[in-house]
Amino acid sequence: MPQRNQLIASAALVVLLALLPLAGSRYAVDLTTEVLIYALFALSLNVLIGFTGNVSFGHAAYFAIGGYTCAILLTTYRWPLAISLPAAVVLAGLVAAVVGYFCVRLTQIYFAMLTLAFAMLVWGVAFKWKEVTGGDDGFTGINLPAMLTNHVSYFYFTLAVVTVAIAALWVICHSAFGLTLVAVRENNVRTGFIGVDTRRMRWAAFTVAGSFGGLAGALFGMYHRGMYIENAFWTESAQVLIMVLLGGMYSFVGPILGAATLHLLQVFTNQYTTYWPTVLGLILLVIVMVLPDGLIGLVSRVKARWGKT
Amino acid sequence: MKISAIIVAAGALGAGTAFAQQPVKIGGMYPLTGGGAVYGVPAMAGHQLAIEELNAKGGILGRKIESIERDDKLNPSAASSTMKELITKDKVDIVLGGLSSAVGLAMSEVSKQEKVVYIATIPKTIQMTTDKLHKYVFRTASNTDFEGDTMSLLAGRYKLSKLCNLQLDYAYGNDLEAGIVKTLGKNAPNAKIVLTLKPKLGATDFNPFIPQVMAAGCDGVLSGLWGPHFVSWVKQAKPLGFFDKIKWISGGEIASHEIAGELKGDFPDNVISNTYELWYHAQDPSHKEFQARLAKKLNTQETPQWALLGYVGVMYAAAAMEKAKSTEADKVSAALEGLTIKTPVGPLTIDPKSHQANMGQFWGPMVKKPDRAYRMMDPVEYIQPK
Amino acid sequence: MTLTMFTLNAFYGLALAMNMFIIASGLNLIFGVLRVINFAHGMFYMFGAYIIFTVTKTWGAPFLVGVLASAAGLAVIALAIERLLLKNLYDKEHLMQLLFTFAIVLLMSDAAKMIWGTDQYSVGYPPGLGGAINLGFVLLPQYQLFLCVVGPLIAIAMWLLVDRTRWGRIVRAATQDREMLSALGVNVPMVYAAVFTMGSALAGIGGALAAPRVALVPGMDATIINECFIIVIIGGLGNLWGSFLGALAFGFVVQFGTVLAPNWQDVLPYLLMLAVLIVRPWGLLGRPEAGR
Repeated sequence: MPQRNQLIASAALVVLLALLPLAGSRYAVDLTTEVLIYALFALSLNVLIGFTGNVSFGHAAYFAIGGYTCAILLTTYRWPLAISLPAAVVLAGLVAAVVGYFCVRLTQIYFAMLTLAFAMLVWGVAFKWKEVTGGDDGFTGINLPAMLTNHVSYFYFTLAVVTVAIAALWVICHSAFGLTLVAVRENNVRTGFIGVDTRRMRWAAFTVAGSFGGLAGALFGMYHRGMYIENAFWTESAQVLIMVLLGGMYSFVGPILGAATLHLLQVFTNQYTTYWPTVLGLILLVIVMVLPDGLIGLVSRVKARWGKT
Repeated sequence: MKISAIIVAAGALGAGTAFAQQPVKIGGMYPLTGGGAVYGVPAMAGHQLAIEELNAKGGILGRKIESIERDDKLNPSAASSTMKELITKDKVDIVLGGLSSAVGLAMSEVSKQEKVVYIATIPKTIQMTTDKLHKYVFRTASNTDFEGDTMSLLAGRYKLSKLCNLQLDYAYGNDLEAGIVKTLGKNAPNAKIVLTLKPKLGATDFNPFIPQVMAAGCDGVLSGLWGPHFVSWVKQAKPLGFFDKIKWISGGEIASHEIAGELKGDFPDNVISNTYELWYHAQDPSHKEFQARLAKKLNTQETPQWALLGYVGVMYAAAAMEKAKSTEADKVSAALEGLTIKTPVGPLTIDPKSHQANMGQFWGPMVKKPDRAYRMMDPVEYIQPK
Repeated sequence: MTLTMFTLNAFYGLALAMNMFIIASGLNLIFGVLRVINFAHGMFYMFGAYIIFTVTKTWGAPFLVGVLASAAGLAVIALAIERLLLKNLYDKEHLMQLLFTFAIVLLMSDAAKMIWGTDQYSVGYPPGLGGAINLGFVLLPQYQLFLCVVGPLIAIAMWLLVDRTRWGRIVRAATQDREMLSALGVNVPMVYAAVFTMGSALAGIGGALAAPRVALVPGMDATIINECFIIVIIGGLGNLWGSFLGALAFGFVVQFGTVLAPNWQDVLPYLLMLAVLIVRPWGLLGRPEAGR
């Protein structure tokens, strides 16, 4: 049963990651924390892209709402993390529900552009609402619970939250709801005929994506001890979209792979040359030309080669 | 699994090599790609020049300097990650650089968490040395209070009465406005701001604002439009005769030769502004020598102003380490407080309370010269905060 | 707002609209026919501006030669990109093209840095267009007036080409059904190559024409791409006059909006798009597409 294999492999990966701090490299722990957060962010976007076929150009909005909400509640209002973090997720989800209500009436590029428009409004609010968000100076000095200020404990916290969130997303995507979403993606009209309210399904997916994006944002803000308006800007939305496409959008693990690859490439190329855009651009170009299904296509090709199923 | 293997390998790479006579490691971060590269690339050149010169003289504390340079990508979160990487993987002793306020504040936050000294060489946001000040952050750039003070002083000196206040609508513009308003009553009691306009950061189209300023009948504009904003304003306003009667008193270093040399004949009349450095003006022989060395490195006589800022930052780091006889952050931080060093533009002192150096700027009117295609500042006045 | 101010603002809005139309019309053409979301269009615009800088300022050629050089330069770059790389992606997953154009943006931004460095540049107004015309109650800058003439000329030329020629009929057919067109014996790949080249050349012309009134700096590509997409979308995808209308709406909303509500200037184009899409989900002149 393939599902059992997947489960074992995932559990093994989590255990392996949990052992990482034993290697003693502070840098490796920090970098992995970043990758985990981006993986969740990309995965949340893929609920929308991979499972409904709708591309969002504005996913950074929910990331930012989650990040700012958690940061502000922790710091300005001194709320405990146990309330701030869920509140961040709920608010991101609520905003996604409102925005989604308008967006799901549209499809294709019109859908994408409307998500972009809303996201830029969120950016505008973060920019201009200086008293609350710190404006373009950013919101720095986030107050973390003492037990999370250490990089190893924050890593474990992130690992735990991301693992649970990914498991939850897996369950959602493989539930009846998830399967219906795939049906909506494959044939919107026919799924409608069999009595599914396709618009409502897409709306639900939009809200789920926003909520989990908000969770990723909250983790991100706490990790950096700061949120900045750049985190809500459209370039950030483009970045996470690129992660999903790079990994492969019609697979559950694709976006995780894409997030890890793009983030690590960006980090490592910057270490070796100030012409990192050229190196990164060439690598991406090769991937696009050779692997039109994204990195996950490579995985399945290798699998096919070695005769595994 | 493959990914974690890479990470472990990368980590192991960072952990090794710990031996006697390790080099002093200086991290430098400026925007080297995208919109910020206009400033970041020359600043990094100055940073490199200082390190080359120090190494030629034997380094710091008798140890060679290893320079680790990174693109801050003009993105605060990316800069924060990169600075952490410099500290945890490359084990730098000090970090210098930054350009935008947000990146400066993000780097300051990392410096506070990781207890590593950060010297901000370009960011001007006043917050850094007031509300968000901490033990490990220092600034060798000017700041918006100094700049605003000088601008109101000039408004008084040119006997202006009706002023238009023109600032970009973001942190730097708002801070500069605050700096101007704070001192206007004292420095120019007869002047009054009759119109305040705030174009957005990154604006390329100033047509919505130009007619409003012309209609307001101001005899002077106090402007914070820097770099490309100023250039676009000039290109769009000049055909209307905008600069014929209005004095344009401006912060944002638009008197730098980077702008004068590029605009050439398009550079308007009646501009009085500032710059950190002028290649055709030397304070003393040592300043002239610095300019010659920089010219050699950059292969041009007309060197950009930003190099000086990168250069001074490194000089400060070196002087503090020598004074502390250590590269330990706490000792270097203590040494930086009140430290006076000699820079190409004269002696500078870091205020022990605010951690702000009294970096001055050259101010003056930009005038035509008979034998030059571009305008030059004349007379040049070096204004340093008290 | 006085009559003078109103006239001036309307005029500026129009000039901005025409400059934007020229750039966006290229994007509209590519998007409408190829269905490629070309992230690199803003970079093409920037290259157009840089090329005219080199041709007019460094080599001392006349302005018009510079504009043509920008168009030709971008045509060559685009043709190379399309023939060597992009043509292999049409049959693949649609969205991978987006990843492709992102890679092109990265490569071209570094190429620009290698060729032109990181200094900021400025291009002078062409002779005779650097002043203003006095209408008695208002001064109108000549160059902006020039843009108000060039924009409609390009629109009409494109309309004639797309609506009145055989080639145009093929292009329009390609937006509807590429397989059918191919079955009818039309060399669709060549149509695609031509469209991509022409659309990109328009970005080059737009960049060249924008160059005298703005500063040339790295990063000038960043916002223009979004603004172009907004214009194309609010006008209606693939519709030439839609883009023209979209550009006009953009120009006037940005100009008057910035004067009347300066606090909102950062998000004005997005507000405009929001309003249009909520009221007319397929843009001003677009038509709903069935079941795609």
